[in-house]
Amino acid sequence: MAAYLLALRLGRWGAAGFGAIAFLVSLLQAAAFYQVAGHTPAERQVFGRSMSLLAAQFTVIVPPPTHPETVGGYVEWRAFGFFAILFAIWALTSASGAVRGDEERGIVPAILAAGTSRLALIASRLAAFATAATIASLAAIAGLLVGVASGGESIGSSAALGAAVVLMALAVCCYALTLLVAQLSSARGATAVAGVILLGLFLLNSFSRTFDGLVRWRWLSPFHYYEQSSPLVPGGGVDVSATLTLFAIAATAAVLAALAFRFRDIGSPLFSLPVPSRPASYEVSRTAVWRVPVLRDLYDRRIGLLAWTVGISALGAIFVVLTKNVVEPLLAIPGLARYFTGFLNGDVFPSFLSYIWFGFAQLLMAGFAITQVARWSAEDSDGRLDLILSNPVSRARVVVERVLVLALGALVIAAVSGVAVGVEAHNQGIDLDRGRLAEASLLLVPFTLVFGAVGALLASRIPRATVGLLGALAFASYLLVQLGPIFKLPTWVDDLSAFKLYGQPLTAGVDQTGLVIMLAIVVAGLTAAAMLMERRDVGA
Amino acid sequence: MAVAAIRTSKLSKDYGLGRGLFELDLDVAPQEVFGFLGPNGAGKSTTIRCLMGLIRPSAGSAHIFGLDCIRDHVAVKRKVGYVPGEMPQFASLRGSEVVAYLGAMRGGADVKTVRSLAERFNLDLSRRYREYSSGNKQKLGIVLAFMHRPPLLILDEPTAGLDPLNQREFYDLVGETRDDGATVFLSSHILSEVERACDRVGIIRSGHLVNIADLDELHRIRFHRVEIEFAPGDDPPVSALRAAQGVEDVAVEDRLVTCTVRGSFEPLLDAIHGSTVTNLVSHEPSLEEIFLEYYKENPARALTG
Repeated sequence: MAAYLLALRLGRWGAAGFGAIAFLVSLLQAAAFYQVAGHTPAERQVFGRSMSLLAAQFTVIVPPPTHPETVGGYVEWRAFGFFAILFAIWALTSASGAVRGDEERGIVPAILAAGTSRLALIASRLAAFATAATIASLAAIAGLLVGVASGGESIGSSAALGAAVVLMALAVCCYALTLLVAQLSSARGATAVAGVILLGLFLLNSFSRTFDGLVRWRWLSPFHYYEQSSPLVPGGGVDVSATLTLFAIAATAAVLAALAFRFRDIGSPLFSLPVPSRPASYEVSRTAVWRVPVLRDLYDRRIGLLAWTVGISALGAIFVVLTKNVVEPLLAIPGLARYFTGFLNGDVFPSFLSYIWFGFAQLLMAGFAITQVARWSAEDSDGRLDLILSNPVSRARVVVERVLVLALGALVIAAVSGVAVGVEAHNQGIDLDRGRLAEASLLLVPFTLVFGAVGALLASRIPRATVGLLGALAFASYLLVQLGPIFKLPTWVDDLSAFKLYGQPLTAGVDQTGLVIMLAIVVAGLTAAAMLMERRDVGA
Repeated sequence: MAVAAIRTSKLSKDYGLGRGLFELDLDVAPQEVFGFLGPNGAGKSTTIRCLMGLIRPSAGSAHIFGLDCIRDHVAVKRKVGYVPGEMPQFASLRGSEVVAYLGAMRGGADVKTVRSLAERFNLDLSRRYREYSSGNKQKLGIVLAFMHRPPLLILDEPTAGLDPLNQREFYDLVGETRDDGATVFLSSHILSEVERACDRVGIIRSGHLVNIADLDELHRIRFHRVEIEFAPGDDPPVSALRAAQGVEDVAVEDRLVTCTVRGSFEPLLDAIHGSTVTNLVSHEPSLEEIFLEYYKENPARALTG
């Protein structure tokens, strides 16, 4: 019981944060439905058809909607599809942190030394996360109910509870799978390996909607079982066997994780290669790159940068293929072809690619910036910044070097992914303007730096809260772009979003005003960050 | 007149609720090994972090070789080698890479000095930092602090995690460094350590400097709790023990004698000479016990501490 309570306490901020996000998203999406869907059945039918059409572009991320002309169907598509990704990420970070992170921090050895068995430790962590996921899922439902009430309608409590149960089942399943994977990988690689596996399972299910060859394998993916239920849709419900399958996968993975945990050494994976003995060395590294400011930090995080570059480039190429596969059938419909060509001035593929890929790439680059900023915060709290500042370097230089490292990293990712998109577009026979593609790709650099500059500012003032605040800012910024038009927010409010500043460079060229504003934010953020950094207590 | 290596004037860092550092006045002369002694939470690390310019004092000032620790913090760092209270994370970097990385910030690491220090402490620089034990991490901290032969070393509990052999090596290194002309400011919560390594000692408690003592005064402050068990049929020499210089609080229970010894053990050993001792145990008291004893003698100081 004590281990369970401790696990609950360690995870309380995750439950609060993800619960708040879930509440807000489902509330906003439900409220948004009444803003855009119309009021008469006929208006809603038209709205539903247009949403289904729009959804065809996003099947790679979320499943197509069922009855989007109803508030339940709409929210299930817009919010609960997104929650599958959000809760999987939460489960991933929580589980790898609970097993290997807490192990490195000494929490796991302390709990085991207090007489808790390894099986009990795994069980307590799983139970605590299940509790937290239940709370966050109920928060999502609460947001939905409030949003639906604002439209003068209601949703059955059994349907709402069903949605919460299915969401919780998916989260617990992802958590247990990560628990298992974390036993088999090194402490440092646990999050990355489990992340790759969960992403693979997610993409397997998503791509199976487009590529028939993958259909036979999608039973492997927990996300497939999640999608079988549609509790919020009129006439839908919870697929009991699919939901039980999620719980069964979770139970099996947890048992295997407990077994692996029982037989492995604390601090080591279950299986590890023997390290060959070698004579001790007392020499300083002669690698020249350590002597070059900025490059040495880039070199230090080369593995992560390589993973981001390869991952984003591969996704870019995949999105090009998907664009081709999604748009071509739509163009085969004469009515739609006329609509698209009229609406998009003939540049159908670049327009779709601009919207689908570069919209998603912005999110990924914001994520890249947040991970780099998280490292700055960690340097502050783990004492690395102390040691850096014990050398004759100014604090302002530290801030500038950090942002330059971020800029160079973003440049590498943007350049390589731009080339990947260009090459794949050429292979697919999509005619892209090379200059525009280069501009769109390179514009991701100042876009990333906007988050970097804000992150530097936050890290210089409140390092411990930086990641949470920057994540919330990115989330709010993204929501602003998504929901601003729906709620008919004033233009100046829309313009506050960093995602709005990026514009549509692939089709409309670089928005000079947006670029200038982004650069102004970067310069102002950096200057303020350097000034604040000079004045504050390090490690406080 | 030589500029003080370290000079603080009314240096304060107030964290509220009575925590922090209050009106610290210190003068550390060049080529001196100065120990900064205090229990956990006394304000040692706060003082060191003020000197390193990592935190800004609430009041007062700190100077290193005449340079202001806040205003001239970059110039100050050129003259300082630093071991932090806790070594940070360098994840997958190898020891050799950490040295190259941080050495480059000073214009490059002195390869010969690094090799000599690493060999001296038997620190394998080819291993990854995360594979290092806490002792090896501390050794790396020592290499990083000493590798550029700075004129001042500021060391926050530098022997934490080191085994006795490496501790002895470290004390020798401190002595050699002082002989080469450097100044050492070393914090510790172990009396015997500062007694061994330092020329003078500042004693801090609850953020207040209690005293600055030389070695003679340290010897006087220091005491041991001793338990002596005599062989069956051998009466303990109680009178001789009570009469022995520096032997106090003598208590007898059957064949077991407990007492407190201040200063040298010679009078105690003379007193039990000729008796058959089956067991003798000496405990070094904690700093708190030493302070309690000290305040019994100097009640006025307790008011500030």
